[in-house]
Amino acid sequence: MRVRSNEYATRSREIVRGKPEVREAVTGAALAFDEMRRRGYAEVDADRWRRWAEAVKNHLLTHLDDYLAEAEAKLRDSGAQVHWAADAREAREIVTGIAADASARTVVKGKSMATEEIDLNPALEAAGIEVHETDLGEYVLQLLDEPPSHILGPAIHKSLAQVQRLFADRFGTPVEGHPDDLARAARRVLRKAFLRADMGITGANFVVAETGTVALVENEGNIRLATSLPRVHVVLAGIEKLLPRMSDLAGFLQLTARAGTGQPTGCFVTLVQGPAPRGGDKGPGGRRDDDGPEEVHVVFLDNGRSAVLEHEHAWETLRCVRCGACLNACPVYRQTGGHAYGWVYSGPIGAVLDPGLLGLEEAMPLPFASSLCGACGDACPVRIPIPELLVRWREEAHERGLAPVAERAALSALAGAATRPAIFRMGAKAGARLGASAVAKALPMLREWTRDRAAPRPSARTFRELWRKGIE
Amino acid sequence: MSADDASRGNQARRRILSRVAGATARRPKTPHPGSLQTPEPATGPEAAFAARFVASGGEVAAPAPGRPLGEWLTEFVAGPGLGLEAERPVVAVGAEVPPELRPELAVAPPDRADAGICRAWAAVAETGSLVLESTGGRAVQVLPPVLVAWVPVGRVYGRLEDALIDLVADLPAAVGLHSGPSKSADIGRTVVTGVHGPGRCVAILERAGGWDGRGSS
Repeated sequence: MRVRSNEYATRSREIVRGKPEVREAVTGAALAFDEMRRRGYAEVDADRWRRWAEAVKNHLLTHLDDYLAEAEAKLRDSGAQVHWAADAREAREIVTGIAADASARTVVKGKSMATEEIDLNPALEAAGIEVHETDLGEYVLQLLDEPPSHILGPAIHKSLAQVQRLFADRFGTPVEGHPDDLARAARRVLRKAFLRADMGITGANFVVAETGTVALVENEGNIRLATSLPRVHVVLAGIEKLLPRMSDLAGFLQLTARAGTGQPTGCFVTLVQGPAPRGGDKGPGGRRDDDGPEEVHVVFLDNGRSAVLEHEHAWETLRCVRCGACLNACPVYRQTGGHAYGWVYSGPIGAVLDPGLLGLEEAMPLPFASSLCGACGDACPVRIPIPELLVRWREEAHERGLAPVAERAALSALAGAATRPAIFRMGAKAGARLGASAVAKALPMLREWTRDRAAPRPSARTFRELWRKGIE
Repeated sequence: MSADDASRGNQARRRILSRVAGATARRPKTPHPGSLQTPEPATGPEAAFAARFVASGGEVAAPAPGRPLGEWLTEFVAGPGLGLEAERPVVAVGAEVPPELRPELAVAPPDRADAGICRAWAAVAETGSLVLESTGGRAVQVLPPVLVAWVPVGRVYGRLEDALIDLVADLPAAVGLHSGPSKSADIGRTVVTGVHGPGRCVAILERAGGWDGRGSS
């Protein structure tokens, strides 16, 4: 999808002012997810689980070349075909090439942020292939030609009334149809697509190096169908999606589900080792399957990830398991939803991952789209230090002259004053005497902040005055 | 795939792996922390599985004691036990289900069956999951609106990690973990069931001579 992160300020303003229904829908859904996450964490020793998951991913990332080679070998042993894509263009060419080789006409897709990242659907459609998003939320968005706004709930920015109107127009369901009726209408259309599809395309939640297992987690069953019925299954997996061992997968399946929705695990987990062994073929354990795909292709996608791995600080973002917990916890994300961020990964994780994947210029001003309240870091199941990384990216933006003008001017003024004691004293006294509204008007950051809020009242005495008299 | 494609693919592979190797070489290696060691369920695996599975919207049924299991299943699926709408339900049956566990009902392809009958490789208490292998057929597990799965007693693991480690020894091409019915809250944050996969998921603990009513093997 086209990167529009630079338009964050304009787009977030448009959404907050012009589409109040987005804030209402996103806030309601995100707070509900966040509450489920809290309950899910409370049932287990979440702090210990999170430290463990952080350590497993750190181990993985510091041995990633070895584990990638191991996963590739195991997948090939099981009959899967492994491909490597350095960037989005290569990934699109590989997948459209597989579709052409298989003479695929109809594709059913599971929800996959990686396929959004590489803009896969337009490439498939340009090749004359019918593409069906099958996750219910993604399907709604496909009908509306909109990108997802949340990693887990792609259509959380849509109200029930909006979906009711859409389905009434498209499928003739009642204008006030119950979600059950709407889901049934979608199921009728998509079931036909599943039964005639030549190819299923999914992402990967995890790839276990030890066994070459692609693990996929979901609640609807659409991924089980997309990996079971078509004759070809294509997996698009970021190179950071690996786990060393199958025993690690047990912990990650549970922790990721608890972080995302509070569930013990997703309703459906699909573990794919390779194509279904048929006829004279012998699969793992000398088995033969009656159905299942004849071909399984796994495309390992770099697209900026190896550059992130090289980065002194940003490499920690590669622990991300795409649970969406940080989005739900974020008071800034909840105001606008994901579209304001202008790329596929939004919210706090987007604000620290996108600068690494896209380059800081492309992702500006996302690291500034945060109040640094720290809720994202507390929610993250793999303990990515998101608040610290936000500050690191901001520092880098300042060093490279990329920071927003107002922020840059304010900080330069502060730096100038702080190195001249007389000016600093005068400024502090003036601030204390002038009162809240005058200070708020004078400082650009506070001016925006106080548009909808009362500014805090400054102390009548400066800190230096209090210090001299002894702070009580 | 053409020779050019293969060569481009090899170049991409080399570029990615060499960049990754360069990055990992510059950072201190950290050790693997070992097993997460989640606790065993306090109530025993079977009871804990049933509780978790039901909490996630699954159903657990008990065969009548002393009845042949296949005979009991026939009555359960066709009668008020399962409560299907069809007067004479048709079923799809996984190839892994042995003759003595098959219902005596008309058989249909999975996309036209009222219920799919499977036999789970195992179940897991910690997550309330049925572990279904691909070997007996995948469509029967995912297409019918109702899934009925036999779970052999003694095959209920307390912890998911133990089940997955045992699975590694003899991995099929694919495995499905089913932990309740198909669900979505994507429309108006209202939970709907049966969106794509089975809308009902029924586990039947299978023991010789039927259910002993005590909930443990």
